[in-house]
Amino acid sequence: VNAPPLDDRTVAYVVASQPQFEDLRQVAAQLAGLLVLKVTGSRDASPDHPMLGTARTLFDEVRGRVEQTRPTERARPHHMRLQQAAAYLATALAAAQRALASAGDGDVDAALAPLRSAYDELQHAARALPGFRMVAFEQGCCAGHAAAPLT
Amino acid sequence: MNRYSIWVTEYAYVVNQPTSLFVYGAHNQGHRKMPYGYIVIKGPDVVATIDVGYNHKAYGEVLANSYGVENWRPAREVLSEVGVKPEDVSRVFITHAHFDHMGALEEYPKATFYIQERELTKWVWAMSLERRFRWLMLGIDPADIMKAVDLARQGRLVCVDGDCADVLPGVDLHAAFDTHTWGSQYVTVRNDLSSSSQNSWVFSGDLVYAHENMRGSDPNDPQYVPVGLATGSQFNLIMTSEQMTKRAGGDYTHVIPVHEERLKDLFPSRITKAGLRITELALADGEKSRVR
Repeated sequence: VNAPPLDDRTVAYVVASQPQFEDLRQVAAQLAGLLVLKVTGSRDASPDHPMLGTARTLFDEVRGRVEQTRPTERARPHHMRLQQAAAYLATALAAAQRALASAGDGDVDAALAPLRSAYDELQHAARALPGFRMVAFEQGCCAGHAAAPLT
Repeated sequence: MNRYSIWVTEYAYVVNQPTSLFVYGAHNQGHRKMPYGYIVIKGPDVVATIDVGYNHKAYGEVLANSYGVENWRPAREVLSEVGVKPEDVSRVFITHAHFDHMGALEEYPKATFYIQERELTKWVWAMSLERRFRWLMLGIDPADIMKAVDLARQGRLVCVDGDCADVLPGVDLHAAFDTHTWGSQYVTVRNDLSSSSQNSWVFSGDLVYAHENMRGSDPNDPQYVPVGLATGSQFNLIMTSEQMTKRAGGDYTHVIPVHEERLKDLFPSRITKAGLRITELALADGEKSRVR
């Protein structure tokens, strides 16, 4: 709340990296969703589930965008968090594919641990700069209150 | 005779929430307080809650600064007002997967959680859609999905498919699909344990936000009016309101919405030192009042 206003280049970084953040969050949610199907015994939980392919495609695309983005000095910690989240998600994706292919639940932990780490990195990123949200509160039952503007 | 003591425990609130959120189409009708709360059900040898609140550590600051959510208090503090500890809770019935209802799962280390399977599978389906469909993910925290994986691995997540009678003696779960969310459920407590109970309570989750949803605004000419926020259909919300009314013995005051500030006008309550309200709906034999 008391942080100094963002400079123009950092604001531009925020605008450019918001979709990256949201896509990484989406990949994390998709993998978590697949693991829920797996551990609750859903018949849909298989390596052929279309969401695994969707997650992989989205991840490959967003990872490239994260690597190409050049942060300002102020945005550097945020960008490092996104890079770390992407690295953890790469591990989680590979492990999730193995988990979905296996008969038991044994491989789920191998996917869940890096997934948690990726989520933690995204949470840190959300705190590092304004304009990043882990949950779409503005569409929930807080909807009556406008979100604070970028400062 | 009451089998269970039942309290509505407030854990945070928004002072000025637009009325249009509570009541569908109520535009330009001002603001009102919106409590956030959960239900505590205490019986012989069992404590259960309906919902658990949100994860303040992860995003309490955002909610406080940007959305006007005030005075959040942890489960240990809130539950202590009715003589319960989080580790006493053995059952939790999750009405739906929004962050303010299932965001604090980790606060209940010994509980088994009950949620409709459809609530999970439809959220998972929504995640697979393209970005332009993201409104369908409203109010969902991916972290809660990861916690659900953990709970399932520990055998502490029960995915219910439809209605489920007597999850505890006299306590039933009722599916309300495609209403506030895809897989919402509400909970009835038949506090006399009778199958044709004359002493039943209905806990609506967010199928009802306020009395107007059950009665409209004209007491002489009541009608059902849906809540102002739904992923599913208004039709289903209205038909579910009728079901809930019947299950409450025709008494709309026994349909309990946790976001309704005016419960205090119907039932005994008190404000805690922290400034949160405890409302007492029923006392089991031998249980002392927590509001007097």
